[in-house]
Amino acid sequence: MTQLCPCGSGLRALHCCSLNVATLPPPEATRHLMPLVERALQAHRQGATATAEQLCLDVLELAPDRPGALSILYEIRKGQGRHEAAEVLLRRMVRFDPNNFLATNELVLLLLGRGLLADAETHARNAIRIAPENPQAHNLMGMIMTEAHRPAVGEYHYRRVLELTNARDPILLANLAWNLKNQGRMEEARALYEESATAAPDIRQTLLGWARLEEADRKFDSASAVLDRMEAKWPNDPAVRLSRAVVLGRMKRYDEALRELDQLAALTGDDGFGPTELLEKGRLLDQMGRFDDAFTAFQTGKRMAMERGGLQYMDAVADNLITRLRGFFTAGRLRTLPRAGVRQDVPQPIFILGFPRSGTTLIEQTLSVHPRICAGDELPLMNDISGLMPRMLASPLTYPEALAELWMGDQREGLDNLRDYYLQKVAQMGILQPGAAWFTDKMPLNETHLGLIALLFPQSPLIHVIRHPLDVMVSAISNLFTHGFNCSHSLETAALHYVRVMDLVQHYRAEMALRYLPIRYEEMVEDQEPTIRAILDFVGEDFDPRCLAFHENSRHARTASYAQVTEPLYDRSRFRYRNYRRQLEPVIPILRPVIERLGYTVD
Amino acid sequence: MEPIPPPRPGDVPMVPVPLNELFMMAAEYERAKRWPEADRLLNHILAVAPNQADSLHLAGIVSFRLGRHTQALEQMERAIAHGVDTPLYLRNICEVYRSLGRLDEALASAQRAAALSPSDPLCLHNLSVIHYERLELDESIACADRALAMNAGLPGAHFARAEALLLRGDWAEGWEEYEWRFRIAEAAPLMPPTDRPQWDGTAFSDGRLLLVADQGFGDIIQFGRYIDWVLARCPDIVIACPPEVVSIMRQLCPSAAIAMRWEDSVPFRAYVPLSGLPRLHGTRPGNVPVQAPYLRADQARVAAWRQRLDGLVPAGFKRVGIVWAGRPTHNNDRRRSTTLASFGPIASVPRVALVSLQKGPSADQAGRYFGRAPLVNIGAEIGDYDDTMALLSSLDQMITVDTSVGHLSAALGRPTWIMLAHAPDWRWLMDREDTPWYPTVRLFRQKVAGDWADVMRRVGSALREG
Repeated sequence: MTQLCPCGSGLRALHCCSLNVATLPPPEATRHLMPLVERALQAHRQGATATAEQLCLDVLELAPDRPGALSILYEIRKGQGRHEAAEVLLRRMVRFDPNNFLATNELVLLLLGRGLLADAETHARNAIRIAPENPQAHNLMGMIMTEAHRPAVGEYHYRRVLELTNARDPILLANLAWNLKNQGRMEEARALYEESATAAPDIRQTLLGWARLEEADRKFDSASAVLDRMEAKWPNDPAVRLSRAVVLGRMKRYDEALRELDQLAALTGDDGFGPTELLEKGRLLDQMGRFDDAFTAFQTGKRMAMERGGLQYMDAVADNLITRLRGFFTAGRLRTLPRAGVRQDVPQPIFILGFPRSGTTLIEQTLSVHPRICAGDELPLMNDISGLMPRMLASPLTYPEALAELWMGDQREGLDNLRDYYLQKVAQMGILQPGAAWFTDKMPLNETHLGLIALLFPQSPLIHVIRHPLDVMVSAISNLFTHGFNCSHSLETAALHYVRVMDLVQHYRAEMALRYLPIRYEEMVEDQEPTIRAILDFVGEDFDPRCLAFHENSRHARTASYAQVTEPLYDRSRFRYRNYRRQLEPVIPILRPVIERLGYTVD
Repeated sequence: MEPIPPPRPGDVPMVPVPLNELFMMAAEYERAKRWPEADRLLNHILAVAPNQADSLHLAGIVSFRLGRHTQALEQMERAIAHGVDTPLYLRNICEVYRSLGRLDEALASAQRAAALSPSDPLCLHNLSVIHYERLELDESIACADRALAMNAGLPGAHFARAEALLLRGDWAEGWEEYEWRFRIAEAAPLMPPTDRPQWDGTAFSDGRLLLVADQGFGDIIQFGRYIDWVLARCPDIVIACPPEVVSIMRQLCPSAAIAMRWEDSVPFRAYVPLSGLPRLHGTRPGNVPVQAPYLRADQARVAAWRQRLDGLVPAGFKRVGIVWAGRPTHNNDRRRSTTLASFGPIASVPRVALVSLQKGPSADQAGRYFGRAPLVNIGAEIGDYDDTMALLSSLDQMITVDTSVGHLSAALGRPTWIMLAHAPDWRWLMDREDTPWYPTVRLFRQKVAGDWADVMRRVGSALREG
């Protein structure tokens, strides 16, 4: 079999992705290849890439696990932009040599760049295990935790870097500032950006982050000032123009914002005007009422994201999980399962459920004005628990079947342990405020785990934000998000996943007694006070008139909705789908049963 | 509904068969209650001869049996169009109209069938049933009388007469006619054949009386009140009952032996169905034995369910139990059951939480509920009637259609509102909001057949008034 591996490594598949580890020769048997590896290294250093590549291929043909050859070939493929091959080689290096700190760090960076946070976290933890006092390992962990919506944990690792280096590296300070911004600690973040930019005034990413901070904190003039400073230093910088467009858009100066983006497109061509820019342009066009143009921009942006290696909908994985959840969570089985006890000593979660962009941020911002409710934001913990469950319940099965261990005498308290894991992580995240009885968890699509949530927190309010499914689709197509097994990469997959999840929720509700309240986004917009009263009544808290002015909530919402929730409720977002009726036609048949079930119509 | 006469049994042979022979086979399948097979054959016949009246009529019967009432009507209407004035078609279509709540058309068809076939007592029986459903009780009784004048041993007509008399409050005569219920062709036998006599109410102490808990769970709960009256006359009783109600029976008579299977039954001197006790007791609307509450929930279970509800229902919310559908196999289920979606006016009452005690195939409607009031689908956690009783004792109010849960709630003495079809079951009498059977029950009746919306509005208003 001489076929080359499809990953593009240049090796035969048998010695690459189809490698059988059992056939590897012992390291002593391939010692004689060391001189070839040395020569490859030398050639690579001297820029003789072709020679180095051939030498590496020769070595790896005989000893596919030889670390030096793997490392050089990885560098070559990376340099050639053959990312798939590079990743395969890097993963192989780490696999054969789990103590290779440099390779592990490199892999973490690569995975972080691809947005594969869970995978990156696994290797980042390994890096810290290998070198617990290495600042770079902690720095990467800080970055991953910040991106994975666990900023408090990320902050810890960034501060470890400060301790370990005993220095105030400007880039690290900027990373920490971004982290604090995500925690809503704007003043601390601003101070760090100032310090970082003073120490190293020419770092683009620092200034861009700073501008984003000011924009998010509604200090549009300050944001513009930072961007002006960048413009002077890097004229026509694409990122600066994009940030400028965002700021102008938030100031409702749509024509100017669009002009910025058009100029950016002219400057960069297709290469520089990518998915992020196209989606921003689409949102501006939408605000300006140019709906056909907006939709074209959204679609082009999504398509381009896919072409650039964006993540595809994991159809089979989603289908498999949902089918198994339906099969496991049945009334008959649930009658035999215990429930976790309710902790009286710590604040309890309020779960705000809903598809991404269905109004969950609005509900969280509204509730978290209340003095007894603090905002937890999107907590990834239910997902984490589903992954950790087999280990925590000592089960050979995965979630949800691992819950069968609860029938064993030694796992009767298993749910209490899982509950405490969740609450402990929440405490670590620094979410809880003094005087709070509740905190919110608005992780979108947590409703997929409604059964598990009800077992762990049987008395927690479950507030499900319902919105016209076609409006949800408009939001899904106009934003990039990875929730829901990357379903948002196309309208059809977003609709398919939406229907799957809504059918699953229907199943849970038919099979379980839940403390569940559906709230219609449209009613929240149309009839704000009664809706807020209904939610607070349901939670068991007195009405607080400050909740009506949620847009004055000093808390910074971290998710994509933040721009909307800093404005008073507006009617434009209701039945926005009517502007895109023609473009949504292909998904109406998919969504129609749910549209009707929810009591909506298609006008 | 009368089936077509059967000529010959057997499966479809693998050789060409004339259509009339296929029709005979279909008729045989229908008679043998093998409706899907009959359906398949009739579809084949109608594909070849789409306007063949007998096939259309039989297809209508089969569709009706399979629960496809709208299709049944369409097929029967076509049968009538192609086989004008066939009394059998008219007689059968009126049952389909009745089941769809189209009572004017049902009446017209039944009258036409009776006119065309003046010596057929079944046509008059049909008319009696339709008049009952239109609450024209005098006419219902008159039609049954005419049918019985033609054939005094027609059980259906006796039973139709019984229901109309009982609903009208003429219980003395009604109970006697009610005894015909076991002779109806489709009625399940009360018990295996026995040489022991049916008890006539005379006291005896030298033998055992077998008490058969017959009919639905609601009837068992309602007539369970007579057990003390029976014990005063026959102290040694054995109760035959389904397993679901054993704990209720034990509560009503801790000393009684209980048999859940006929083979476990002990020798007895005489037997009596529970549903026959009002007749023996001589019950009239003015002397119903009322000791409500005559059932009690287990206090430990009450505490456990109350705690469960405390965690699921927001504090300060009125806990309103609901049931929207009965057992789907009940003869009257289409009329007595509604949908959860129809509870909108109740769900819009402020600070009310709906606690669903619904069981059975309709329970899944809880998953499709998006009303204003929070809904707690506690029905999913209910294991047995002991759970149900404990839950009912933890609610502020029970609102239900005419099902066993209503009886249970009422027997526990809980505040219970029962929503009734336009033509209700005889036990609820006519035109009154209360009932002599249960002091804590309030009745909400449909003013127009099938109009649950109006009932829900009135219940919603009453709930709002507190």
